[in-house]
Amino acid sequence: MKKGEIHLKKFIIITTALTMIFLSIFLFFGPENPKLISSNYTVFAERVLYWGTQGQDVKTVQDKLSRWGFYDGKADGIYGARTYRAVRKFQAKHGLKVDGVVGLATARALGLPHAVGATASGGVNRSADEYLLARAIHGEARGEPYVGKVAVAAVVLNRTRSSSFPNTIAGVIYQPLAFTAVADGQINLTPNMDSIKAARDALNGWDPTYGCLYYWNPATATSKWIWSRKVTLKIGKHWFGI
Amino acid sequence: MKNRKHLIPPAILALLLVAALVWGYNQNQIRKQHEITLENYYQRLFFDVKKHIENVQVNLSKALVANSKERNVLLFSQIVSEATSAHSKLGQMPLTHAEVANTEKFLNQAADYSTFLIQRHLQGEEITEEQREALNGLQGNSARFNGELENIQGSLSDQNFLLGSMSNNQGGEIEEANANIFQTSLVQLDKEFSKTPELIYDGPFADQMVNRKPVGLTGNDVSLEDAAKIAQEFLGEVSIGGIEAFEAGEHVDESRIPAYTFNVFSQSQNEDMAIYLGVSKKGGKVIWMANPRPVTGGKMSVKDAEERAKRYLQDKGLFNMEPNYSLKYDGGVLFTFTNTQDDVIIYPDLIKVKVALDTGEIVGFDASAYYMNHKDRTITDPHLDQGGARAKVKENFVIDSTRLAIIPKGKDEVLCYEFKGKHNQGDFIVYINALDGSEEQILQIIQDENGTLTF
Repeated sequence: MKKGEIHLKKFIIITTALTMIFLSIFLFFGPENPKLISSNYTVFAERVLYWGTQGQDVKTVQDKLSRWGFYDGKADGIYGARTYRAVRKFQAKHGLKVDGVVGLATARALGLPHAVGATASGGVNRSADEYLLARAIHGEARGEPYVGKVAVAAVVLNRTRSSSFPNTIAGVIYQPLAFTAVADGQINLTPNMDSIKAARDALNGWDPTYGCLYYWNPATATSKWIWSRKVTLKIGKHWFGI
Repeated sequence: MKNRKHLIPPAILALLLVAALVWGYNQNQIRKQHEITLENYYQRLFFDVKKHIENVQVNLSKALVANSKERNVLLFSQIVSEATSAHSKLGQMPLTHAEVANTEKFLNQAADYSTFLIQRHLQGEEITEEQREALNGLQGNSARFNGELENIQGSLSDQNFLLGSMSNNQGGEIEEANANIFQTSLVQLDKEFSKTPELIYDGPFADQMVNRKPVGLTGNDVSLEDAAKIAQEFLGEVSIGGIEAFEAGEHVDESRIPAYTFNVFSQSQNEDMAIYLGVSKKGGKVIWMANPRPVTGGKMSVKDAEERAKRYLQDKGLFNMEPNYSLKYDGGVLFTFTNTQDDVIIYPDLIKVKVALDTGEIVGFDASAYYMNHKDRTITDPHLDQGGARAKVKENFVIDSTRLAIIPKGKDEVLCYEFKGKHNQGDFIVYINALDGSEEQILQIIQDENGTLTF
């Protein structure tokens, strides 16, 4: 009788434990609870940030500033004295108006996409293109010399103007199987200052490739077809061709 | 007591096993769900493309029957929209560029050609015999395309294969026999498209536009050594530590502007801070120069920087260049200069100069547009006077300034009156053809504290 009771107790404990584990695992990993991976990358500086403001956008600014060595405090989302000084330092270094306020120009220099208020031009600008292009450069050509980065961006832009490619920057970048950095998700890394600068230079017309539509790394290229392209220039690890 | 201890390890193992199973099951469910989502998306794209191509085909046939310009304009505008949609969706399907390059080109040019014909019709011109022939060709191609998609649709429903399974192979070997049907049939089609004759017309995607050669470069070819000397002379005062040419490819002469590209290390800076230059083979002109050094603490005013840029161009022997737009970014200001002749502004002859606001040094120079387009021009007298042209602009457009300008139009150039002004709080430029009074172009100007962009 006693022995049976113990067995029953054990049985109940184990079943309860199992059920609990089962349930908790379901809740954590359940398909109805997918993690929003992309939320890290789409933070928009939609408002002007200054001393005293708080929020996720402040945190992003702090994060960027500390990555570039302007800010040494904690990324706590509170715009305090340290953030203020860091922003001023950043502005001075980039030839912006030194006022310690993250407005349109500073947000752009920080590489944050932003929504413009209701002006006459109604939010028509180039910042989205700039940011996307910068991410593509960062994913594809991080380790390349500066001219190589601009060249990669120029190829993307040349493709938008070519008849045999999609006609938008996003269309070209996200064309299936076109860029390895897109396929393996490296495109979602936060671009660094150099990549943003290179994107701007390319959008402003600098094309070191003289109209090239292709580039590949001869050491790692997997497509046999790419070797049928005509090479015109070699920059860093990449070959550029038409 | 002893009994219980004995049970602990197997119990833990059993728990772990259950946990792993649950986890694995869930992962599998998630994966399946993603696959289904992707598959549904691809299927939708496929059926959309099919519908769009069908509409292109039908509208092209109708356009060949239609006799009035009004009807044709409507049909062509539908072709533009359907072909553009098909093109955009085809570019999202799991196919490599190599497999669909010519198909994409066909769709792009079908839309572009239709736009060209709309313009012709609106100018009151009839379709010529050659254009009818070209339309016939486009119609045949869209019919072939449609037929191929019909076949694929057949095998899609027969064998129930999944389009999403194709995105896994990187253009290498195709494992799935079913995927083969899809790919080979489209690749075959793509090959056929590559054989179709070139469309002769005036539009951004016309082959003649894409394969344009620089007309502003004349003279003999220069050697690499001479080009290096030209590059050093161009940099002038900068103390040069070393100059290195980027390796050219085998087909360098087929690029848009055949050129030598250099990497110049200045003595004052460290090795990786290089200045880059491109020197054209023909005529040995510096096409572009860039010094991407970081600019810190810029104090110079935009006005002073503009003076510097102007003087710089004069030093380089580029006279009559007039600054018109500026854009401040990354510690520098980028100025756009355009050529002028007899007080007429010539927009195709465009040079960009970037000035660093810390030292006033020129850190960027780009004359590729200038050398692509520059030539000796004889500017005809306008047939229309300024008042006559003003009458062609919207009445409530508030004009700030007016002048004559030459703007690019396809592969040609047209003489226009340029009206800068405001409408509905926005800044615009309206171009009225100075010969026939047609409204050639409208640009919207976006201004902010950093400068000006045109759209």
